[in-house]
Amino acid sequence: MELRPKSTPTEKEPVNIPSAGPSARIDAWWWLVVLVVGLAVLLIVAKSDPFWNILLFVRDGLVVTVLVTVTAFIFTLIVGMFGGLGRLSQNRIVYGISSLYVELVRGIPLLVQLIWWYFAFPVVIQQIGRWLNISTLANYQVNAIFIAVVGLVVCYGAYMSEIYRAGIQSVPKGQVEAARSLGMSYVQTMRYVVLPQAFRVILPPVGNEFIALLKDSSLVSVVAVADMTRRGREFMATHFNPIEVWTMVALLYLVMTLFSARMVAWAEKKSRFER
Amino acid sequence: MEPIIHVENVHKHFGKVHALCGVNLDVYKGEVVVVVGPSGSGKSTLLRCINRLEEYDAGKIVVDSIPLDSAENINAVRCEVGMVFQSFNLFAHLMVMENICLAQRVVRKRSKEECRKIALDLLTKVGIPEKAKNYPAQLSGGQQQRVAIARALAMNPRIMLFDEPTSALDPEMIKEVLDVMLALANEGMTMVVVSHEMGFARAAANRVIFMDEGQIIEEGTPDKLFASPNNERTKLFLSKVLH
Repeated sequence: MELRPKSTPTEKEPVNIPSAGPSARIDAWWWLVVLVVGLAVLLIVAKSDPFWNILLFVRDGLVVTVLVTVTAFIFTLIVGMFGGLGRLSQNRIVYGISSLYVELVRGIPLLVQLIWWYFAFPVVIQQIGRWLNISTLANYQVNAIFIAVVGLVVCYGAYMSEIYRAGIQSVPKGQVEAARSLGMSYVQTMRYVVLPQAFRVILPPVGNEFIALLKDSSLVSVVAVADMTRRGREFMATHFNPIEVWTMVALLYLVMTLFSARMVAWAEKKSRFER
Repeated sequence: MEPIIHVENVHKHFGKVHALCGVNLDVYKGEVVVVVGPSGSGKSTLLRCINRLEEYDAGKIVVDSIPLDSAENINAVRCEVGMVFQSFNLFAHLMVMENICLAQRVVRKRSKEECRKIALDLLTKVGIPEKAKNYPAQLSGGQQQRVAIARALAMNPRIMLFDEPTSALDPEMIKEVLDVMLALANEGMTMVVVSHEMGFARAAANRVIFMDEGQIIEEGTPDKLFASPNNERTKLFLSKVLH
């Protein structure tokens, strides 16, 4: 017997590095989907009162949740792009403002931000309106969904800025030099060369942000937006069945996040390119 | 005759390093100038100052009668000056065809058909028309560099700058790139080439410039400079690179 540590690979036994390949992920995903959807269907069929009633009741809240999430996400992508570019700007003022924004927003809980936007912001506007004697401002009333989306965008835009910054920084400097040496302007270079490449890099974290946003959108229920969570609370208030309501609501959120994760994985696969 | 590139007393610092110490250089239309020198001698920096990828601290550069002073002029000069990099720098997310078409479309405002026609002609010229639909990562280094040359030529530059175009290539691919460059030189393109390919310098250069420590030490025809350099530093350098 030769003396050799057990882990030393020999020619006959090539080292197999275990990896969670794409197939492993797909399997896990399918299992979860079967489990979650199966459970939801089972509950609805087996005990349609109250589960089917809950579903019918929170239906419009589900639409609001999706609407708020998708709208906020689209604007988050735009705000994040400018924030990220600002964080990389040579211009000190632009850099200063974008850094201040990111640092300020990251340090305040989202729930507090949403409450501020809903309760404090309109008062600020009304005060300004009174000072300037502009009656439209003095009588300003917020639209709950609008201000909730604003709150989500401001908060998630800051996180997204940092993701964009990292993505833009991951594009090799030579790509910019090549574009500029061909006479392309800064804006053209960003639009056609840097951002398309950065976007592919940041797709996974951006996808995560979408899922996080979907879940955090439940916080808007405290600022008078009738989303799925708020509708669930309303149902519970009249029917007094917390287990059924919150199990159903949790399952519905799970279905949405599971399918979002799937879409992100699909988009990632679509946009992959080699360097 | 007015030089097409006029470099006058240009200085450049990187922090405490004095990368260019008062460089003067005139390049005339149709000339092929090869710049040699040890690493860190400022050759690449000089080249990158000519299309203002690098800002210089003092001095004056005029390209094709356009002084490099305003943002507008810099972009105008960059349209006239093609650049080829050591690391190719093809746009990694675009196919070869799109690589060559992009700047034509957004800078030169050419139509899609015109861009594609020019691109295909140039790909034929560099010998790889069949790679139009490939991504850069699917090409060999030599092929990538030839695409990079085609991409620069598509803008109809009056001058081509080459920054060590063969240094990142495997030996068997160097020739295919040098052949393209040689053909370009024979067509009368004005070229400034930073390279250690002495064979290319002998075959194509009108003038070889030796740089060291941010200064032009010596210049002359390749025959003269390689055979009988005047300066000690030139002799020392050439003894190391000429075999």
